[in-house]
Parts: sequence; structure tokens; C-alpha cells
Amino acid sequence: MSVTKLLKEGPKVVNIGVEQFYADLKTQKAEAVSMDWKPSAAGGDLLARLKKLRKGGN
Amino acid sequence: MPSSNQRIQIIRRTYYDSVTLMLVAKELLKTEGVSVASLSMGTEANYKIMGSGGFDLGGVDATPNDLIIAVKTDAPEGEREALLEGALEKAKEYLANPPGRKADSGGDYRPKSLDGALSILPDANLALISVAGKYAGDVAMDCIGKGLNVMLYSDNVPVEKEVEIKKAAAEKGLLVMGPDCGTIIVRGVALGMANACPPGPVSIVAAAGTGLQEVHVQLARRGVGVLHGIGTGGRDVRREVGGIMCLQAVNALLADDEVEVLTVLGKPPAPEVEQKILQTVKAGKKPAVLGFIGGEAKGDSDGVFICRELEETAAVAAALAKGEDGARARENLFRDYESLRQRAETIGRRKGFLRGLYSGGTLCYEGQLIARDILGPIRSNTPLEKEMKLEDSLRSEQHSMVDYGEDEFTQGRLHPMIDVSLRAERIYEEAKDPEVGVILFDVVLGYGCNDDPAAGLAEGIRKARSAAGDRIAFVASICGVDTDPQNASEQRRILEELGVHVCESNARAARLAAMILEG
Repeated sequence: MSVTKLLKEGPKVVNIGVEQFYADLKTQKAEAVSMDWKPSAAGGDLLARLKKLRKGGN
Repeated sequence: MPSSNQRIQIIRRTYYDSVTLMLVAKELLKTEGVSVASLSMGTEANYKIMGSGGFDLGGVDATPNDLIIAVKTDAPEGEREALLEGALEKAKEYLANPPGRKADSGGDYRPKSLDGALSILPDANLALISVAGKYAGDVAMDCIGKGLNVMLYSDNVPVEKEVEIKKAAAEKGLLVMGPDCGTIIVRGVALGMANACPPGPVSIVAAAGTGLQEVHVQLARRGVGVLHGIGTGGRDVRREVGGIMCLQAVNALLADDEVEVLTVLGKPPAPEVEQKILQTVKAGKKPAVLGFIGGEAKGDSDGVFICRELEETAAVAAALAKGEDGARARENLFRDYESLRQRAETIGRRKGFLRGLYSGGTLCYEGQLIARDILGPIRSNTPLEKEMKLEDSLRSEQHSMVDYGEDEFTQGRLHPMIDVSLRAERIYEEAKDPEVGVILFDVVLGYGCNDDPAAGLAEGIRKARSAAGDRIAFVASICGVDTDPQNASEQRRILEELGVHVCESNARAARLAAMILEG
């Protein structure tokens, strides 16, 4: 169970958003990587629209 | 015609995270002649906040997808035009190259995609998501698809989306902590807004943030550490979501041999969810404390203690962790609270209304419960009963407590634990009301929070003092420890020098504030 793995191993974090949270993790020597996230790179909405188009929706 | 002392520019369909917007606004305020600077998304709430900040918003037609840059000047008329124009240009330059940003990431490479991030950290097990709410749900689904647990700091995520995400995660045995989850602790590592306390035998499942922070801090003050603190988001234990993640987290912690004492806390769940949690915890046969603030459940049984306040929850959990009597710890604490009446006497009784200005939602809720018992009904934007809802969150009525962490204040703006400026202004506004006798507020410390909140609030307190003199007593609690980046003792010193009466917990501060007005 993945949650058990998280609790045993400790956090290894992908930070998406506020950079300060990444800096704080680094201060605590936790493993982390921070994404340069922008809405256009998120893909969620675009992907949903593309899927709709493929199904012949609009 | 006199030249305007304000300039507003709308940048259409532009997204900036709220930290960048605060940094740019702060930088603009350093410009001589700029008296107010605001960068915020065009939400209804931000219109109201800007209006109360003195901006004339006639003709402004920004939508929540548009950025509004607004500046005001107190410069003489002849200089205004050039100064405001210069400030707007500067704002745009800062947006392109945000001040202080490089230092945050330490110049580390920042991948643009989730796949890119996972190629750098292939055994990642958690995504910390703090993008704007309208995007956060889809980003969370992407992360769950990749097998990551999720901490969803973002708020303004629709409840239907929350249920969808949580069901998808539960199927994969993953946790979704949030939305609107400000704090978590995993193996003693703090994520989001969390305090720098040593790990220990207690683990916590909590709603969102400040409840967890307060209990974490209160345990640390009693020499007891926290191994895991899992936030579920405030809505998780409501009927619509059914406690999916609360129960998942409780089961994970009950199965964890390193967890000696389990604590579950937050605002009261829906009755059927509360029953499920209670039954699950009882079946777990581990010493446990349920701290549902003002909850209906009563009576300790089967090794499970039922508490109604945060410090009480921590006091009982600390006693259990030390192998002491939980019931006696509770009795001692409530006996100790009685001494606050003497302190209120020494400070000097005041007349009028109590005004509480909170950054922490659970702290605001607890504050209302405690003050209501002493003073009667408390009005709020997050009231205990619907009838007590403030018509306008920016205008207090009678006894009021306002939670500045509510969605209405955080859409396209920073959380009040990071940006203390709105509360600083409100402290001054409240002090101008001749019917106010006590102003109560919280100061929340830890990673992710403002690096010097007491100093940020100080200007508001000074102005309030000069407006109200001794008519108003100021009472605060500091949720933090000396090992926090802000140092709790240093924050206390700043507040006490301003004449603020600082208490060791929110439960004490709310009691003291109400007792000063009692009778």
C-alpha cells in the first residue's frame, strides 16, 4: 500500500506551485524537486478537450 | 481637473501565483510616493478588498482570469502622473523577473512537466500541489495517475472534484491530503505551513492546518513529538465526502507500529462519519484521543479520550504518550484556565465588544466556542450557527470573529499566514470603532508562514493604539516554538513591547479576551 511506503520512507516530494515550500523542504534536507508549473503546461483542460474532439464532441 | 491619485491596469488572461504577486506588491511599496499597491486576480472578493483599501473601481471589468495591478500615491498633484505610470511599468518588469525568486529555488533546475520531475526524482512518493484551485484538481489527478500521494494545499477546488480525486486515490491505496490542507508532517518533516518540532510517539489526523499546528506545538511544549501529521481537508469528514481520507489515514496510522498514540482532530464531522471514525479508532486498540472541537461525542471509553478543545487534546495525548493519566491531565489544565480570570483582573476589565481576527480556521472556530460560553453569541464569516453569519465579512457586528483564511479572502491572494497586511489594516479599522473593548488575534509560525508576522502586524497595532488609547486590550496567541524559523520567543517579545497580552494557546487567549469583557 503506497501510503504505508510514504510513512515508512518519509516524503520524497514533487513540489508544484509555491516555491517557498520547496525551499523549506531543502532546509529540512528532504528529497524534493520543484516544477516550473504554468497553467498551459498543466495539460488537464487541454487533454480533456482533445479527448472530447477525438470522440466527436465539441 | 485634478489628476487621479490612483492608476489601475488589467492584464487579461494572465496567471501568476500569489507569492509572486505579494513579492511584487511589496517591492512597489518601497517606491517613494507609492502609498498602496495591490496585485490580485479579479475575483469578487478581491474587488471588495480593493474597494475597502480606498480604490475607486468604477469601470474596472476584470474577470477572475485577469490580473489587476492597482497603485495609489500620496504625492503632490503635479508628480502623480509620472509616479503612477512609473510604478505600473515597474510592476510589469517585476512580474517578468520576480524579486527574491532566484533565492527560493536556489537556482536548482525546475522541470516543466511531471514526467520531467519524475525523471529527476524517480522514487518520489508525494506531490505538494499549491497551484490555483481551478487547475489543482486536474494536476492532482495527473499525480495520482503516476502513483503519487497528494498534498493539496490549494483551495477553491469544487467538492465534486474532491470526491472524484479521493475515490481514484483510495482505489490505488494513495492519500489525498486536502484540498485546503495547509499542513502535514511525515516522519517529522514539515510540509506546507508546519512547525519545526522534533518527531515523537504521537501521530495526528486533522482537517486542514491550524488545528494540527496548534496540537503539534502544544505537544512540543509538553516535551512530546509528532511522527506523522496527516491533513485531510476540512470537507473530508462532511457527509458529501464521507471521511474517505480520514478513515484511510486512521487505518494507516493504526497499522503503523511506530505510532504509539493516535489523535484525530478538527471541526466536528457529520454524525455518521464521526461514528465511523470512533468505531475504527476503538477497534484499533491503540491509545487514542479524538479532539472534535465542540463535537457532540462525550465520555472517554475503551482507551479513547474525547476532547472538545485543541490544548486539551494535546494535554491528554501528551499524558498518554508519557504513560500518565489522561483524565488527570485534563483536570489540571482546566484548573489552570481558572487563573486567567485573575490575569483579566490585573489587565483591567474593558467594556464593549470582542473582535477576533484569525488566520487559522480551526483556531477561529475554537475561539468562538470558548468566547460564546462566556459572552454569548459571536458573529462570524464562519459562524457556529448559520444565524450568526456576518452580512459582510469586512464589517464586524457586536462580538465578531473573522477567519481570514476562508476562500473569500484567498482567491487570487496569499493566505493570511503569509500575507499579514489585511489583518494589520483590519486591527486599525476595528480600533476606530468606539464600541470595541478587546481585539484578539492569532500569530501562526512555522515553515511556509510569513517570516516575521509580529512585525507585519505591528504597524496596525501601533495605529490602533494611538486611535483607541487604553480603551482596547489586545490579546494574542502564538502558535509556534523557538525552533521555528521565526522564533516564537522573539515574536512574543515584539508583541509584548506593543502592549499585547500574549497567551500560551488559542484556548487561553480566547478565554482571557472574553474574561476581560465579562460582567
